[in-house]
Amino acid sequence: MRARIADLGGGVLDAMRAARELWLTYVSTIAGIVRYRRGGRRKGEVARQMYAIGNRSLVFIIVTLGFIGMVMTYEACLQLSRVTGDYSQIGSQFIRLIVSDFGPTLTGLMLATRVGAGIAAEIGSMKVTEQIDALRMSGVLPIDYLIVPRFLASLVMTLVLAVLGGTVMYLAGGLTAHYSFNVNTNIFFDFQFLRMRHVVLMIVKSLAYGAAIPIVAGFCGLRARGSSEGVGWATTAAVIGSSFAVIVLDFIISAAALFLTGGDL
Amino acid sequence: MPVEPAVRVDNVAKRYGRRSVLDGISLAVAPGTRLGLIGPAASGKSVLLKLICGLEQPTSGAIALLGTDVVGKREAELGDVRKRVGMLFQNYALFDFLTVAGNVRFPLERRGGLEPQIIAERVANRLRAVGLAGSEDKLTGELSGGMKKRVGIARATVADAELVIYDEPTAGLDPVTTQKIYDLLAADQQRTGATVVAVSSDVAALAQFVDEIAFLYRGTILYRGPAATIADAPDPLVRQFVRGELEGPLDEPGVPRLGSAAEGQRGVEDVR
Amino acid sequence: MFGDAIASIGASARWIAQEVGGILVLTGQVLRALVPPKLDTRELWKNLYKMGNKSVPIVVLTAFFAGGLMTLQTGPFVKKLGATSLAGWGAGYAVLREIGPILIALMFSGRVGANNTAELATMTVTEQLDGLRALAIDPVRFLIVPRVLAMMVMLVALTVIGDLVALLGAAIVGRYMLQIDWSTMYYSFADNLKPYDFLHGIYKSFAFGGAIAVASCYFGVTVRGGAVGVGRAVNASVVASAVSIMLLDFFITYLSA
Repeated sequence: MRARIADLGGGVLDAMRAARELWLTYVSTIAGIVRYRRGGRRKGEVARQMYAIGNRSLVFIIVTLGFIGMVMTYEACLQLSRVTGDYSQIGSQFIRLIVSDFGPTLTGLMLATRVGAGIAAEIGSMKVTEQIDALRMSGVLPIDYLIVPRFLASLVMTLVLAVLGGTVMYLAGGLTAHYSFNVNTNIFFDFQFLRMRHVVLMIVKSLAYGAAIPIVAGFCGLRARGSSEGVGWATTAAVIGSSFAVIVLDFIISAAALFLTGGDL
Repeated sequence: MPVEPAVRVDNVAKRYGRRSVLDGISLAVAPGTRLGLIGPAASGKSVLLKLICGLEQPTSGAIALLGTDVVGKREAELGDVRKRVGMLFQNYALFDFLTVAGNVRFPLERRGGLEPQIIAERVANRLRAVGLAGSEDKLTGELSGGMKKRVGIARATVADAELVIYDEPTAGLDPVTTQKIYDLLAADQQRTGATVVAVSSDVAALAQFVDEIAFLYRGTILYRGPAATIADAPDPLVRQFVRGELEGPLDEPGVPRLGSAAEGQRGVEDVR
Repeated sequence: MFGDAIASIGASARWIAQEVGGILVLTGQVLRALVPPKLDTRELWKNLYKMGNKSVPIVVLTAFFAGGLMTLQTGPFVKKLGATSLAGWGAGYAVLREIGPILIALMFSGRVGANNTAELATMTVTEQLDGLRALAIDPVRFLIVPRVLAMMVMLVALTVIGDLVALLGAAIVGRYMLQIDWSTMYYSFADNLKPYDFLHGIYKSFAFGGAIAVASCYFGVTVRGGAVGVGRAVNASVVASAVSIMLLDFFITYLSA
């Protein structure tokens, strides 16, 4: 039993140490962006990373958010059919939830999986094959060279994909409501409850997720040790860490918004 | 007036948790000389190289690289001195996102201040020197082990560094290629007057190339002397290792570590 | 340029078809190995312990936040309508049927699925699988079937635990951030959530578990290349799992209506 407590204590200390290093990674990345202008980067790397993130995740996001949109609408309509039978509010409420929460968050979760694993796998392989050390020997800072471009690319692309994903969700939902419950598309696609603060939430959340994923994933990649096992482990840790970060950030931002608007979402 | 050594290691120890890898290492390499580093597997050779370059921090002790202290420095502060050093990694560490030419160009581009044509010329020269002219656009995945090693050597020597470190430059190569590589490294060093530190398990070939050899055993430098006479070293451990004999004091647990820095009988010799 | 785009879509479609085919083949092999259920029980227990034990903390934390989130989303709306008795329903329904199983499955795929792929991939790269075959041990029966079973069982168990924690999280957030008291929440859950809703989520996690398990094992053993290949295998495994989760969720929802 005492061993268990010792384990737990050790685990907490490890977690705190890791959290501190993660924070340092974040700060170094921001510092790296400030340094960015002074050269030392590969030309067009940000664009290349944006293409990698956006292009390779596009179909994935469309498919997953599309299906989830259909399921959510179906479930909601099903419940309503048992209670009131009045579908007039479904579309307008759905878009509100999509913009302020589900769009960015589900996109964020999917990207945490896809982009998080990708970045950690790339950087982790480089670490275990000593390419990171070779970069350092040429006077290159790994954070500046590897993480900063991915960070900037992810900020942009997460927002873009969140908007795209949200749109697909809404469209898929509308089609489902129409074909399964005969809801008129004019009634469904209703933006009357959409406010500026919902859009602000969407942007804030997308940027937060877009910032968190490459930092967590890059951090895990740079800590990879050993050989193939180390890369596998780094990739796993990156997926969990990024996903968890998205969920926690969602909670914090939503709670803050609730607090700031006095309970009126 | 004593000349500042190219590499100065002062009583350095390195521990990973409770495991002690290096203990009380002191070493100085005079500029322009060639030092060979030998020892059984896991004796800490690669760790020592990493410490010298500041890629890892020692648990205690001081290290100076080309006159600059590398202990306790942040990454950004080490960039300048590292650009004066060329390193061949044991597993080549080639950048798999760049072509062969891209790899060899990299240190020159990082240095800054060179015209693109000059860079291209020097890259082409280097590739020709290592026998890889025509492979400029290949990706690292398309290369054989020997070719990768040669790209690594080209990358380490392209910037005419003041200190070049070779970690196993001829491991896995046939004897003829080994000789060619050492001839190449020797010609380079004579041309640039750089200091060389080379780690190798092929003691015979290494002895032809370097001036002095240091023997690293279980974390301390047991012996250091001229390469030419290494096979007749006074220490039986060293003799056994160099001659490749199966019987002897090596690999016997509990064999006392001879020649610690404090004793000064044999082992550590400063070159000042 | 347009032709390039079409070509790459075609290539992707072919690649997807290839992988899906491979996964189906592996599924068949696993099922066949189960027919006379002769499997290595020691491996089974080892995997059950490893997968369950290591994922409980992260699942519990995730479920807690997810439950709280749902209350944050639906709570204010419900309060504004004065229908606080429905607060639990709004959050609970979504959690039990959708959010709970999906989110827990995603975290499971990230924690256990990715780890599993990494392990199997490393074993493949270091030729241990070939070693097993040389000893006349069938890797499917020895390695894969115990893992598939363990993952399916574990995900269901974790979903049960996670559902409960999520409801707890929903209640806590309701109480401390929206001033909905405990008894309101409790009765709201008890009145509006039916056992069927709970079971619906469990069926889903059973299916998700199977999909994650087979996908993670497949990409683990078909890895190629060294360290880089392992990273790519894990990447493919989590992506395939996520897509399968969404697809299965859709089909199960439609089929059970």
